[in-house]
Amino acid sequence: MSKQVLIVDDDPDVRLFNKTVVEESGCTPLEAANGEEGLAILKDRKPDLVILDVLMPRQSGIRLYRELKTDKALKDIPIIILSGIAKKTFLRSQKALTEFGGETVPEPEVYLEKPVEPEQLAQEIHHMLKS
Amino acid sequence: MGYAMDIQTILFVTKFETLWFDALASLLDLREAALEHVVFLNVIEREKVALHRGRGYQKREEIKLREMANIRFIDWAETLFEQGMEVGAYIVVGNLQQQVIRTSEKENVDLIVIGNEKKKRFELFFSPSDVIEILRRSHKPVLVYKYRGNGGSQENKPFQRPLIATCFSNTMRKVFAYLKKLDRIIEEVTIVHVADPGKLQQGSAMAIQKTRLVTRRKLDEACDELTAAGIRATPKVYVGDPVREIEIAARECNATMIVAGTAHKKTIAERFVGGTPRALVEKSAFPTLLVPPDPD
Repeated sequence: MSKQVLIVDDDPDVRLFNKTVVEESGCTPLEAANGEEGLAILKDRKPDLVILDVLMPRQSGIRLYRELKTDKALKDIPIIILSGIAKKTFLRSQKALTEFGGETVPEPEVYLEKPVEPEQLAQEIHHMLKS
Repeated sequence: MGYAMDIQTILFVTKFETLWFDALASLLDLREAALEHVVFLNVIEREKVALHRGRGYQKREEIKLREMANIRFIDWAETLFEQGMEVGAYIVVGNLQQQVIRTSEKENVDLIVIGNEKKKRFELFFSPSDVIEILRRSHKPVLVYKYRGNGGSQENKPFQRPLIATCFSNTMRKVFAYLKKLDRIIEEVTIVHVADPGKLQQGSAMAIQKTRLVTRRKLDEACDELTAAGIRATPKVYVGDPVREIEIAARECNATMIVAGTAHKKTIAERFVGGTPRALVEKSAFPTLLVPPDPD
């Protein structure tokens, strides 16, 4: 059975791009248009990998990432962040949320800034699913 | 009815020409109250990408406008994310009023912030502005920021010294509930009532003084209520044209914002559109917070 990769991004064009790369990588794509939908699918389907955008309606990737990494049942699912938001912003944001009383969360396994080449994304998907 | 009026989520509606990040930055003191989530909305008007005879739908133009908005939102979002805030963004093609109402309901926002674009008198007369239509249809409070080129107030923090314009309607309960939650960021409130000069002309000097006394007592009670909630409040009674007098009062007390309740939609919708709230939105140089009544 092929591995499941959840794509969480509000931009349908980006979802289509990611979906194509995921399928070309021999995996099954799952799709969510925002953080809330993504969390529901994560809990229901427990995918093998998540490709996560940051700036989205309903729930941002920053909050969803935090929820995943502090959830015992979900925290080991690897995450590729794919966003226009800079990595340093993501890390500062997580630090600020920790300072406001949240748990410390680890850095994301892979952080890619948009736009990304399909070969690079495919390579990271292979790498994450192997390890 | 109990009012849960914390401002936790703001919907920031921008066309970029009329509302910039500095307007949002001026509202960030609301974080000391409850603000933790900002939702950006940019509506690409249909006429910019469609309805061009012989050219059909201009997908390329839409992509260009989307990406331009996206670049700005990413930049703004980064500033807010780094402060530990939650941020969301919508870039949609459609009708501004519909999209604002739809997004405010979808995200369950507590405040809609929108800029008011100055238009020519002719345009206003024949086509009520988008802002007015949003006010008519929204159940959420709307803060109308004044366009930079409008000679508008450039105050940094609108909630610092609000002036409440009251006609003692039921919506005032909601306005008070809204402001009481902001006691940590409000320095002082002025509550003003503008009496109708026509009514004063009909009575004797004694009757006029009595009207003033009754009004003043009501204002004192309102001030006492806010003072009990930890907010310093001062009453003022003015006589004359409401919009003009409210504007004068706001200047005299160095207000940072005008606050008013809007009329009940079902009963006097048309009057509301032509009334004081509308005039404040269109004419006042001050940011104007309009609080609608609760839905039935």
